[in-house]
Amino acid sequence: MNRVSFLLGRLLQMVVVLWVVATLLFLIFRLMPGNPLVAYIDTNFTAEMQQTLLRQFGLDRPLHVQYAIYLGNLVRGEFGRSFFSREPVSQVMWQVLPNTLVLTLSALLLAYVVGVLGGALLAARRGSWTEAWGIPAVLATRAAPEFWVGMLALAVFSFTLNWFPSFGATSPGSVYPNWWAKVVSWDFLRHLTLPVLTLALYLQGLPTLLMRSTMLEVMDEDFITFCRMRGLPERTILLRHAARNALLPVVTAFALGIGYSIGGNVIIETVFSWPGLGRTLVRAVAAKDYPVAQAAFFLIACVMIAMNFVADLLYTMLDPRVSHEQQ
Amino acid sequence: MSLLEIDTLAVQYHTLHGAVQAVRGVTLSIERGRAVGLVGESGCGKTTLARALIGVLPRNAAIAGGRVRFDGADLLQLSGDALNDYRWRRIAMIPQAAMDSLDPVYRVGDQLVETMRLRGGLTSPQARERAERLFALVGLAPGRLRLYPHELSGGMKQRVVIAMALALEPQLVIADEPVTALDVIVQHQVLRTLRELQETLQLSLLLITHDISVVADLCDDVVVMYAGRIVEAGSVREVFAAPHHPYTMGLRNAFPSLRARSARLVPIEGYPPDLASPPAGCAFAPRCPFAIERCWHDDPALLPTTGGRLAACHRAAEADALRTQAPQAFARLEATGPQSVRSGAPPAGGTL
Amino acid sequence: MSSSERAAALPQWTRATSTWRDALLVTWAVARRDRFALAGLVIYGVLLVVALAAPVVAPYNPQDLNYRPDGEVAADEVPSLPHWLGTTNLGRDIFSQVLFGARAALVVGFVAAFGVVVLGTLVGLFAGYYSGWVDTLLMRLADVAFGIPFLPMAIVLVAFLGPSIWNTVLVMILLLWRDTGRVIRAQVLSLRTRSYVEAARVLGASHLRTMFVHIAPNVLPLSFLYGSLAVGWAILTEATISFLGFGDPNVISWGFMLQDAYNSQAMARHAFYWFVPPGLCIMLAVMAGFFIGRGYEELLFPRLRRR
Repeated sequence: MNRVSFLLGRLLQMVVVLWVVATLLFLIFRLMPGNPLVAYIDTNFTAEMQQTLLRQFGLDRPLHVQYAIYLGNLVRGEFGRSFFSREPVSQVMWQVLPNTLVLTLSALLLAYVVGVLGGALLAARRGSWTEAWGIPAVLATRAAPEFWVGMLALAVFSFTLNWFPSFGATSPGSVYPNWWAKVVSWDFLRHLTLPVLTLALYLQGLPTLLMRSTMLEVMDEDFITFCRMRGLPERTILLRHAARNALLPVVTAFALGIGYSIGGNVIIETVFSWPGLGRTLVRAVAAKDYPVAQAAFFLIACVMIAMNFVADLLYTMLDPRVSHEQQ
Repeated sequence: MSLLEIDTLAVQYHTLHGAVQAVRGVTLSIERGRAVGLVGESGCGKTTLARALIGVLPRNAAIAGGRVRFDGADLLQLSGDALNDYRWRRIAMIPQAAMDSLDPVYRVGDQLVETMRLRGGLTSPQARERAERLFALVGLAPGRLRLYPHELSGGMKQRVVIAMALALEPQLVIADEPVTALDVIVQHQVLRTLRELQETLQLSLLLITHDISVVADLCDDVVVMYAGRIVEAGSVREVFAAPHHPYTMGLRNAFPSLRARSARLVPIEGYPPDLASPPAGCAFAPRCPFAIERCWHDDPALLPTTGGRLAACHRAAEADALRTQAPQAFARLEATGPQSVRSGAPPAGGTL
Repeated sequence: MSSSERAAALPQWTRATSTWRDALLVTWAVARRDRFALAGLVIYGVLLVVALAAPVVAPYNPQDLNYRPDGEVAADEVPSLPHWLGTTNLGRDIFSQVLFGARAALVVGFVAAFGVVVLGTLVGLFAGYYSGWVDTLLMRLADVAFGIPFLPMAIVLVAFLGPSIWNTVLVMILLLWRDTGRVIRAQVLSLRTRSYVEAARVLGASHLRTMFVHIAPNVLPLSFLYGSLAVGWAILTEATISFLGFGDPNVISWGFMLQDAYNSQAMARHAFYWFVPPGLCIMLAVMAGFFIGRGYEELLFPRLRRR
C-alpha cells in the first residue's frame, strides 16, 4: 500500500468517524428528556404558538427528515441559533474557537519542548537518582487533577501573590481594534499565563515519558552501535541519529495531543473562566442550550479527528518505512 | 612488525551473577595484507574481542587487562580523541547485525557521506563522488545511494556496510559473522567480494565466523578460539590439514565441507564452560576425548609447536597420533556424554 | 512502541500463566520487586480501610451542618481540634467529607475499571479469535471510540442520562474499553497460532472453551495492566465530572468537594485546608494505579526493565 492510498484510507475513516459522532449527537440531543424547546418555550405560550415554534425549528417533522436536515446543516456549518442569546451559533463558535486554539497550541508547544528535552535528559541519566525520582514526579503531574492544580495556581499566584488575574481572557472593559492586537497585548498574555502553565504541566507528562522510553529503545539499536564504531561525534549520535529516531512517535503524539487536549480543555477553561470551546460546551450542556452544545461538541470532535489525520500525515513524512509497514 | 598485536587481552562483563570473563587473555597477531579467520562456537568471545578492538564494548563490559598494539601504538593507553583517530580511519568493522546497522530514517548515501565528512574530513561533493566509487567497488549501482535502508535487500545492505567500512581506507577490517543473516548464495557472493577487496586494497582482514569452511575458503591464517582463549593458530592450510588441538580436530569432524563425503559428521559433545566461574584447568577438558589428569588442573599455555604454529594443549606433541584416533574418540564421547570432573583420561580401550 | 508491537513483544512468560489463579499471584510478584508498586498497593489498602471505616471513624456526618456553641452555623472555620480540616462555607466538616470521599473514589474506580477491562477483554478476545467480519466490526467500533473526544462525550452523556454515580461509571465503561480491546486483540492474534491452542481445537474443544480456558488466562496479565491504569483514569474522570457540576449531588466525592470549594471562592479566601486535601487524595489514588500498572509493565516487558 503506498502513502497516498494509505492517507486516503485514513481520510475516509475520518469522515466515517465524524458521521458517527454527528449521528450520536443527533440521537442524544433528540432523546434528551423532555422537549428540546422546554427551556425555550414560555409557559404562557399557547399550544398554537408552541406549534409554530416547533415548526420553526423543524421539530414537527418525522425523525428521519429531521436527521437529513440536521446533516445538511452540519455540512454547511449551519448550527442554528442559541436558545438563550438568540445569537447564531456559528457566531458564538467563532468567538471562542480562537481562544481555545491559542491556549491549546501555546500549552502544547511548551509541554513538548520541555517534555522532549526532559525525556532525553531522563534517558541520558538512566539508572541515576534523577531518573529514580524523576519518573514518579512526572507520573504525579499526570495523576494530579488538572482543575485542582489550576485551583492551587489561582490560590497562590492570583489570590495570594496577585501576580496574575484570576479569570477571563482580557480585563473587563478592555477594547481592542482587532483580534491580533488583543492576542499580543500585555493584558491578554497575563490572563493566558496561568492556564497555559497549568495545561502544559499536565501535557508534558506524555512527551517526557514517551521520549525517554523511545530514546532508551533507540540507544540500544544496532545502528547506534554502528555509529559509535564509526567514531561519529557523541553529539551527532545523540541528536542526529538517536533523538531523530526517537522523535518519531513523539511528534505523532504531538498531533494526537492537540486532539486530546482540546477535549481536556474543558477543565482548564472552566477553572480559569477562559472563554473557549470547552467552557462553552460545559455551560451549554448545563443550561440545556442544545444548539450551542451540539456545535461546540462537533467542533471539538472535528479538531480532534483532523489532528489525528495530521498525526498520520506527519508520520508518513517522518518515517520512510511507513508505507511498507502498514498492515 | 605485525599490524595488530594483541597480548593477553581480557574483557569482563559485569552481570547480576558476577563478572563473566568473556575474553580470558587472548594473544594473537595479524600481519599486513593478510586475511585471518577467527573461528569458534557462539559465546566463545569472538564478538566481544572484535568490539574491544574497535573500542565499542557493550555498556556492562570492560577491558580487564592486556595490551593491543596497532601499528606500533598501544591502543588501550590512548583515550578520547587519540583513540577515535584509530577508530574507523585505521580499523573498521562490519558488525554482526549489519542488516540493522543503518539508520532507517536517512538515505544510505547520506549516511556514507556523513561518515566521510565527519571522520574523513572530506567536503560534501568529494564525499558524494567517493560514495559512488565505493558503491561501484562493492558492486552496487550508484542510483542505490538515494535509497533508504528498508528499500534494499539484505545482501545489498550488507554491501553498503562493507562500503562504509572501506570509506576511510582503513588498514584493518574486522568482519564479525558478516553474512549470517543472508541466504547461502548471497552469502557466497558477499564473501567473495570481501575477499577480492581485501586482496586488491591490500587490507588486513579479521574474519570472525563459526563456520570453518568459510575460513578455509577465504583466509590465509586461522585462529581458533574456545571459551575466551585462543587454542590454536597457524596458516589455514596447515591447521586444517593437521590440527594440533583436539578442539580443532573436533571442529573439523563436525563440519561437512572439510571432510570426505563418506565420513560421518561427529558433533562435539557437551557445552562450553560457564565463564562466570571458569575452570582451573583446560576449559576444553570436559569435552576432550584425550584429556589426561594434568588437563583438569593445569591450564595449558599457547605455545609454539611445529612449523611456526601455536597450540594450547598439553598433548600437542602427540597431535599426529591423536588425530588419527579423533573421529572414533569423539564419536565414543558423543555416546557416553561429557566427562565429569577429574575422571582423568578416558580409557582408550573402552570399558562398558 | 505501539500497542500491537507491545503485545507482540510479550515474552513466553505469559504462557506460564496457565490458570486464572496464577495470574492473580503475579500481583504479589510485582509488589515484591518494585517499591513504587508496593506503595501503590499500600495506598489502595489504606483507601479500602478508610472507605469501610468512614462511618465509624468520621467525627461528623459529612452532609450535616455544624453549629458553634452559641448556636451560629460553624461556617468557614479554620482547622481546629473539633474540626481537623475546618468546615465548609455551609458549616460541614471537611475532614469527614475527605474520609467519605474515599468511598466514592473506590467504588467508581474499581467498578469502572472492572467494567472497562471486562468489556475490553471480551471485545479483544472475540475480535482476535474470530477475525473476519467480527474483527472488522469491533475494530471499526474501536476506531470510532478513539475518535470521540472523551471528556466532552462523558459530560454530554452524563447530562443526558442524569447525574448519578452509576451513570458516570457506565459512561466511562462505554468510552474507555477501546485501549484494552485493541491490545488484547493483538495478543490474541499471536496466541491463536500457538501450538497448544491449535491442539485444543484439534482435540475438540469448542470455540468458547478454547477462548476462555486456553487463551483468556494468557491475556489476563495484560488485562490487569490496563485495569490498574483504568482505576486511576476512572477516579480522575469521576472527580472531573463532579467538578464540572455533572456529578451525583447526593454523593460526597473528592471532585464534589473541590467543586464546592471552587464555587464558594475558597481560593480567594486562602482556605487551603479545604481544597488541598481532596486533590491530594485524588492524586495519590490515581498514582497508586499508575505505579501498579508500571510494576506490571516491567514484569510483562522485562526489556524495559533492564534499561
